[in-house]
Amino acid sequence: MGSILNPLYYAVSWVIVTFHSLLGYIFGENESESIKWSLSIIGLVILIRIILIPLFVKQIKSQRALTALQPHMKEIQKKHKDDRQKQSEEMMKLYKEHKTNPLASCFPILAQAPIFFALFTVLNGIARNTPHGVLKGDLLLSAQEAKFFGANLSSTFLSSDVNTQTKLVIVALIVFMSATTFTTQRQLMVKGMPKMDSSNNMMLQQQKIMLYVFPVIFAVSGVNFPVGVLIYWSTTNLWTFGQQFYVIKRNPTPGSPAYEELMKKRTVKDNGAPPTTNEDGTTQTDPGIEQSKPQQRQQPSKGSKKKKKK
Amino acid sequence: MRKAFAVIIKIYQKWISPAFGPRCKYYPSCSTYATNAVSEYGAKGLAMTAWRLVRCNPWSHGGVDYVLSKSSKQPIKTGAN
Repeated sequence: MGSILNPLYYAVSWVIVTFHSLLGYIFGENESESIKWSLSIIGLVILIRIILIPLFVKQIKSQRALTALQPHMKEIQKKHKDDRQKQSEEMMKLYKEHKTNPLASCFPILAQAPIFFALFTVLNGIARNTPHGVLKGDLLLSAQEAKFFGANLSSTFLSSDVNTQTKLVIVALIVFMSATTFTTQRQLMVKGMPKMDSSNNMMLQQQKIMLYVFPVIFAVSGVNFPVGVLIYWSTTNLWTFGQQFYVIKRNPTPGSPAYEELMKKRTVKDNGAPPTTNEDGTTQTDPGIEQSKPQQRQQPSKGSKKKKKK
Repeated sequence: MRKAFAVIIKIYQKWISPAFGPRCKYYPSCSTYATNAVSEYGAKGLAMTAWRLVRCNPWSHGGVDYVLSKSSKQPIKTGAN
């Protein structure tokens, strides 16, 4: 197992050490080792998430492509109202037929798992004084001294010689991770996904599960993981939140509540009410909102004339 | 053995998978597929599951993909929803 992961240990330790020496130019050679090592872990997260951005963009694009499929989807929902199995089956068929699939697959999570594990090993190596990859010699000694708000990067909640300060930092990180993950999921469920008639109950159920499950998962694993790994985890959670926040605000999935909000804002902004967005909107949103909107701002017949020309 | 595997998958479906939101590109999802594959084919089912997970990637278009029953070659539809 160790030998298979060896290249990964090298890669992870190399990225961290490289960031550490680059940060040396900013903070000075011998200054603030703690900040440099902490930021190096954050640098690793940023690098990995930047590499994963194209996948994310791809997924967003296929979600956009769903606009065209909306009528088909409605039809399927109506046709198999009482048979959820048939409904999902037909949906998947539809996606495949049109060569667009809005779902992300497990890959983005699975791809991060080995890196996560490698970082875990490298940081544990610091605590146990075992070098991994390029993190050895003086660098290893320096990393052993590195602290994050007074907590050693390599110590865990359960290690024997841990002080209260470290425990507090770890608890704070666990709370932070639970909070970011929960908010991210909640935002996605409430605003980011197309409205479905039957999903309300399921959504509440899911939220309830998440509200309890996340803190438990993070607490159980959090007390066993070194502080450095928790920094990685917190940062990547924060990134996910930010990424999703941006997409939901600027580029929401057609048919989702966030999409309706954006369309409303846009039509208010440029008073001419661009016909294309209006048409987009009417195909998939709540008819109540859509009908009241044009009436508010359609000055005389200008708007409708434009529409016809298009 | 097969029972234990099914239990692990059940726990995953109930408590862990909701945290990620719906994300499988296939129907039924990889976890349901795994349960059916292992209960029908045993160790070979594990390999089938691994292959399914590989196929469920950002570049795939997904689709409907049931485990086929050993005897009748009919799709096994239990557990899917």
